[in-house]
Amino acid sequence: MKLIVYAIRRLLLMVLVLFGLSILIFYLTRGLLPPNFALAPYVTPRMDDAARLSIARSLDVATSSCPSYTAFVDQQAGCIVPLWGQYFKWLTNVLSGNWGYTLLPGIAGTDSTLHVFFSRFPYTVELALTGAFLAIAIGIPLGIVSATHNNRLPDHVARIFSLGGYSVPQFWFGAILQIVFVLYIRVNGVGLLPASGALSTTCTICFADPGTIGTFTGFPIIDALASGNIPYFWDALVALILPALTLAITSIGALSRIVRSSMMEALRQDYIILAQSKGLKDRLVVYKHALRNALLPAVTVAGLLTAYLLGGVVVIEIVFSWPGVGNTALVAAEVLDINFLELYVLVTAVIIVAINLGVDILYAKLDPRVTY
Amino acid sequence: MAEEARNRNSRTGRWADVRYMLHLFRQNPIVLAGAVISAASVIIALMSGLLVSSTYWNHITPGASLCWNNQLIDWHIANVFNCGGPVYPLGTDLYGRGLLQMIIVAIPVDLQIAFEVVASAMIIGTVLGGVAAYMGGVVDEIILRATDIFLAVPGILLAIVLLVVLGRTIPVLTTAVLITWWPFYVRLARSQVLSEKEKLYVERLKATGASGPRILFRHIIPNTIYPILIQGTLDIGAVILTVSALMFIGLTPDPKYPELGNLAKQGIQYIFTAPWMILFPGLTLLIISVGFNLLGDGIRDVFDPRLRR
Repeated sequence: MKLIVYAIRRLLLMVLVLFGLSILIFYLTRGLLPPNFALAPYVTPRMDDAARLSIARSLDVATSSCPSYTAFVDQQAGCIVPLWGQYFKWLTNVLSGNWGYTLLPGIAGTDSTLHVFFSRFPYTVELALTGAFLAIAIGIPLGIVSATHNNRLPDHVARIFSLGGYSVPQFWFGAILQIVFVLYIRVNGVGLLPASGALSTTCTICFADPGTIGTFTGFPIIDALASGNIPYFWDALVALILPALTLAITSIGALSRIVRSSMMEALRQDYIILAQSKGLKDRLVVYKHALRNALLPAVTVAGLLTAYLLGGVVVIEIVFSWPGVGNTALVAAEVLDINFLELYVLVTAVIIVAINLGVDILYAKLDPRVTY
Repeated sequence: MAEEARNRNSRTGRWADVRYMLHLFRQNPIVLAGAVISAASVIIALMSGLLVSSTYWNHITPGASLCWNNQLIDWHIANVFNCGGPVYPLGTDLYGRGLLQMIIVAIPVDLQIAFEVVASAMIIGTVLGGVAAYMGGVVDEIILRATDIFLAVPGILLAIVLLVVLGRTIPVLTTAVLITWWPFYVRLARSQVLSEKEKLYVERLKATGASGPRILFRHIIPNTIYPILIQGTLDIGAVILTVSALMFIGLTPDPKYPELGNLAKQGIQYIFTAPWMILFPGLTLLIISVGFNLLGDGIRDVFDPRLRR
């Protein structure tokens, strides 16, 4: 019962945080840029000044007493609605899904920002999830080995791996992987793994002609399975290997260190000594008694890990020409497509805050000592 | 007399402690390696102006673009150009600038941004975190919620927005990274002060009538500063990586700007024809960041009595 009260309190705080964040991001983009930037996603090149002015009025950026569009652009006194007034109109617009047209070169004005974002977002999610999977699948065992073989060779090797992992510039690690797997390890005249893109057909273990798939969810791997197109599925999976590994490398380092220290803490506890002294097998003690308690702190970093992966994905997408939102965000930054950047920041924030909430509630479920 | 004796005792006690720590530092090869690498990078940064002219990055040497004439490494790539002329030990970049010289010019740029960001984040974090923990109540809640807002966005996204809106200059870059970094220090300082303020000496100070700010800033914070300093050492590497990543994705003031991430960015376009252009700037970043991480790790091991053996 208490947990429900706690969850509701956290949910309210979550709304508050997102509200605060929307104010911050609104101020950073609209408050610091001239007001006519707010109009760009809603006007078309052929619109005359009168039409532009009426759009500015409908967006609550220009006041109804503003005489002309040029007066608005020149920010004449009394022409611009105060920022807080703009904010509430913006918030209602945004919450109702009106993000205007995209300004991305090539498709400017023909597609809505919302559609562009969510058609590319699945690629980013797919990459981030695979990265998270690799981080957990490699980082946790590395930490366990490190703790159980404290100060012996496996520990030193694992330490070097984790230290290297969180010290290496991700973009550089990705580039080195490309050089190694595409330039130097070549079979039949092409690189072993694809160098870039979400679906590469020029590598040794790829299918040259994967065909096409239908769009069901937007996630290429799931769609390929749903269409029953195994070559396409395989190619998409192979294309994920290098970017996901690059994305995971920093988190592998961080996660294995956290698991190592909490595992060592757990192994020192009295109940472990008891378990050992009553003659339980080492395996059983480590995996059944110590690990369960040692993983709790690792669960709490999941939120930070998500934030890290969703942020790091921008750099990885650039290195591997991945067709996700991170790559698009840089193009949007070039053309000052503010709406796209705002949407990106807010969607990411919702995900991170939601995962943090989930982790905290899960923590209460996992650890009976935690009370609220 | 007794007072004096106690003072002397505490002084020798403290001195013995410092000596014991120095002894532990010397015993610990990891700290030693970290200290040597980070000291070397700082020394190179300080001497950078003597080694290479600070305007070197703005020079263009025609005909020396993408050269590799160091015979020690054979890249096994069909079209590696040997431009003849002076030997560039690490090759040249697109503008014909020697990569070794560029790295020497770039190291102080990266280190300066990193030190500025970490020092400011430590100050902001310690003050806000200390005040939040010491005062509690509404102040604590407001400061915590503010950090929540900043922790809800990946730092790199916020930095991109700031750099796009305010312009791509080094001060904006420093601010952008700082804005994403300070909340961690607030959390850290807050948790430290929360446990410290329950100690008996604080109660004694309160009983003697010491003012709140005095207790917090003269007594509690100096006693809780070590974990924050250690985190700062560990973060130098992380900040350098973030800054270079931002430069790498193109948020640089000038395409020719001497910054390690920016040098790597030029390199990625020629990754299969001139791999040295991305290899060496990235390697420099890796070495510097490993150095500060080792140093921070080692200092933490030495200071944390639980980990002493």
